[in-house]
Amino acid sequence: MTEMQGIIAGAMLTLALGIYIFWPENAPASQSEKSRLDYLLERKEQLYENLRDLTFEYRAGKYPEEDFVAQRSLLENETALLIKEIERVERTRPGRIALRAR
Amino acid sequence: MAAFGSFALLLALALAAYNLFAGTAALRLLASGRPARISADRLADTARRAGIASFVAVTAAAVALAWSALTNDFTITYIAEHSNRALPAPYKFAALWSGQEGSLLLWAWLLGGYGFILRLTHETEVKLYAYAGTILAAVEVFFLAVVNFAAPPFSLLKGAIPDDGNGLNPLLQYPEMVIHPPLLYLGYVGFTIPFAFALGALMMRYPGETWIKVTRRWTLVSWLFLTLGIVVGMHWAYGVLGWGGYWGWDPVENASLMPWLTGTAFLHSVVMQERKGMMKSWNIWLIFATFMLSILGTLLTRGGLVSSVHAFAQSSLGTWFMVFLAIVLAVCVLTYIFKRNHLKSEQRIESLVSRESSFLFNNLVLLTACFVILWGTLFPILSEFVEGSKITVGAPFFDRVAVPIGIFLLFLTGVGPLLPWRAASLQAIRRNFLLPALAVWATVIGGITAGVQPWQDGAFDIGRLYALVAFALAAGVLTAILSEFLRGARVIVRQTSCNLFAAIYLLIRRNTRRYGGYCVHIGVVVAMIGLAGAAFNRSMESELALHDRMGIGPYTLENAGGSQDTNTNYNSESVLLDVYRGGKRVFQVAPERRTYLASDQPQTMAAIHSGPGGDLYVIYEGTDSDTGHPIIKALLNPLVGWIWTGLVFIVFGTLVALTPGLRPIAATVRMPAVRTAPAEAALKGGD
Repeated sequence: MTEMQGIIAGAMLTLALGIYIFWPENAPASQSEKSRLDYLLERKEQLYENLRDLTFEYRAGKYPEEDFVAQRSLLENETALLIKEIERVERTRPGRIALRAR
Repeated sequence: MAAFGSFALLLALALAAYNLFAGTAALRLLASGRPARISADRLADTARRAGIASFVAVTAAAVALAWSALTNDFTITYIAEHSNRALPAPYKFAALWSGQEGSLLLWAWLLGGYGFILRLTHETEVKLYAYAGTILAAVEVFFLAVVNFAAPPFSLLKGAIPDDGNGLNPLLQYPEMVIHPPLLYLGYVGFTIPFAFALGALMMRYPGETWIKVTRRWTLVSWLFLTLGIVVGMHWAYGVLGWGGYWGWDPVENASLMPWLTGTAFLHSVVMQERKGMMKSWNIWLIFATFMLSILGTLLTRGGLVSSVHAFAQSSLGTWFMVFLAIVLAVCVLTYIFKRNHLKSEQRIESLVSRESSFLFNNLVLLTACFVILWGTLFPILSEFVEGSKITVGAPFFDRVAVPIGIFLLFLTGVGPLLPWRAASLQAIRRNFLLPALAVWATVIGGITAGVQPWQDGAFDIGRLYALVAFALAAGVLTAILSEFLRGARVIVRQTSCNLFAAIYLLIRRNTRRYGGYCVHIGVVVAMIGLAGAAFNRSMESELALHDRMGIGPYTLENAGGSQDTNTNYNSESVLLDVYRGGKRVFQVAPERRTYLASDQPQTMAAIHSGPGGDLYVIYEGTDSDTGHPIIKALLNPLVGWIWTGLVFIVFGTLVALTPGLRPIAATVRMPAVRTAPAEAALKGGD
């Protein structure tokens, strides 16, 4: 490839990439803010997972009965409070019916 | 090709710069909420596309360099210096990363490749990805500026064009060297992505821990590549450097180990953040440190600061990387200072005997190891700066410190999974630790009975003591992990009535991350057994005339003659050695010495025979100047194969951990809480 051919190939590459970058996009992805409710729902999922793990490990024989009961109680209380908070946040938001469906 | 390659590199830099500036402007517009002539989302999208386009341009440049190497275009200085006509095609391709300029182009290309995937998957979390993509663009701008202005791979040769090139360094003409640098770079470069996400999440005060889930996968992939790169590099050193070892605590080896250690620490402590919202600042700094250590490794390799078999020639690049490192550190510190309120832990460690504290100890030990290695690596530079003379820290220092740390880490590998979350009662400890403790003591007694004593011929041998402790702990850890699998599988057998193997499969699918992690731990234990086995290596050196014999361990080697060969790339001379065991000829080895024609450099090629009893490693060291007889060095490395086997488990386990697990079925019955107690921790954060 001669120098001139190289420059022509480079110019064509520039043109193609320029078209790709600035090609009009009707609906670019929107950068929406994550809400507190999103956060609480994520946290709820995590607490459920922690509860599932705890139960599984208990069934596998890793926890004595008393330890399991105490830890489950702690996790359930955390989860109950969280669900209560989720419901409070949902009540104060518009369109809550749609959200509850999640 | 040179003109096209240079043009494509310049274009890639311009596009990455557009990504950085347009991306920053879009994020500022969004944060301020001010109306503008172009919508912030549209501007951000052009920035993202410019990032993708930058990768296409840098790919074009990389293809141009590879093509120039394959077509012997010696008008390009880089090709003339690192390739020659007789070089086999795979090594011509590997010439791409055998020199400073080419390897930096590879770095920029891999960075662009990671960015390409990140930008294509931006709809996962648009805003977080926009931040990460913009930060990544800043790093890309730096590397592309380096390859455009400080180490251009397409610079043309001044004067007459040679008929042939200088050829590739003989040390690099080895199959592993075709894959070792790209793997290592995939690891180093990959840590830029978690860094970009972590810094972005902190800058935007990302609510919750989902960014951690996104980052974890990238970190795991980078960690896997770095692990593969390190172990393949060890295998290359073992096969090529001709000393029978695989790790010499060379500064550049150390440079690859440091980000591996902090990355490993992050992969453990991140579990705490996901599950309990703890150690947020710690994790952020682990990611920052891992990225900065990757850059430091590059600085050590390319800045001419240290002497190493891996280092490139001294150049002005050191200043570039030092300035970049200083900017990165300043950005990290300032962002942390201004946003640290966002990183408050939601819970605290309740007991010193718990899974949480085992993670914390594991982190502390890994960081201690990292600090010790950093100190030993930089000590020659620091001593030269302070006292004016370079004091080298050698392998004995690193061995003395790293071996006990490694053994303690092995201990924690076994203890961690056995401890419950929050706190462990005495009853739980007794229940979970009984079997592993029995395995430890059985191995100690069995080991001593079998001759693995810490004393030999009346003298105490610390190496053998460490080996015995490592074997015993390895047995304990393996028992602990296997009992974890069996306990879990039994629960599934009870629930589904399937057989044990199906239950183990379901168990792994149920929690791929945990059980994949256990497989990685098995790999680490197996590799540790291999490392500990170095205490039992033996070596023997002898001059062997025709039909002379030498013995090592169960083997007897007999000189059966020699052979010479020549091809367009090198001349070679080898000694044929018949190997006898129990009086019977069992195989033949042929250690070799090559002289590469293009560079006129000699190279030793060890002959390695791997069997169940270990490796017989034979080196042809040259001929005696008086007698003309070959000098043969033979080593018997009984457990070295375990290191490579450990890697197989590590790769398998990491791939399992990367696989999505089975999703639980959602419960449909709502139950009232039995009682309520303060548990506000769950509600903290997310504002």
